[in-house]
Amino acid sequence: MFESLDIGASALEAQRVRLDTIAGNVANINTTRDSSGKVHPYQRRFVVLASGQDESGSAPGVHVEQVGTDNSPALKKFDPGNPDADKDGYVAYPNIDLSEEMVNALEASRSYEANVTTMETAKAMINSTLRLLA
Amino acid sequence: MLIDRVTQDGTPAILEKVLDFTEKRQELLADDVANADTPNFIQKDMSPAAFQTALRQRIDQVNDSPSAMLDLNDLPTDATDTNGLLFHDGNNRSMEQLMTEQAKNALLHNVAVELLRQQYATMEMALRDKIG
Repeated sequence: MFESLDIGASALEAQRVRLDTIAGNVANINTTRDSSGKVHPYQRRFVVLASGQDESGSAPGVHVEQVGTDNSPALKKFDPGNPDADKDGYVAYPNIDLSEEMVNALEASRSYEANVTTMETAKAMINSTLRLLA
Repeated sequence: MLIDRVTQDGTPAILEKVLDFTEKRQELLADDVANADTPNFIQKDMSPAAFQTALRQRIDQVNDSPSAMLDLNDLPTDATDTNGLLFHDGNNRSMEQLMTEQAKNALLHNVAVELLRQQYATMEMALRDKIG
């Protein structure tokens, strides 16, 4: 019976990682340099979900298989005054669509809620079974 | 032993099977909800109707051979029929259907628990020799 709770917990974790990734994308929507300070636009990250509680995929549940990097070309904006502009005056910005990220965030948060509901159902069932002893 | 026959035969044993089934099905439904965003994941479920039919058959058999108790692992786990719904990521999630089935399953579980409580209360009454 407690397995249902483990399954729910694995999904909560996966959806949280997904939301973290989206938060990172939104936060870096205008980032034109990498962590070492070199001019290199931030690359959009995304999660790849796979069934199974871990890499072995044995127990039921879900896990984040990998956090992938979106290699699509950067968005070029003409801004010759910017110190990060190339020789033609274009600045490379991350290819992140804010509305897409927002829809993904909503989806992750709804999935999270659905799993909380499932865990509450399982908890209510466990509680009613425990009442047998009372 | 007498106590084995009291707890292992008749209604309590059957209700215990119902509880086993609802718990197993809840795990399947939880897995379906957890994998609602997993690409190429096909939702799985166990049919309560198939379980009830199998249980009915075994109850009839048990009168002849008492050892023939229903094994839930013999019941098939089928892909959920979501009326042909399939998303572009290869997942056939239907959140409404999943939540409804969970509610139904929890209700069946509670019914079985309540009936089992009644059974135990009746046994306790008989053991204490206090009626009325």
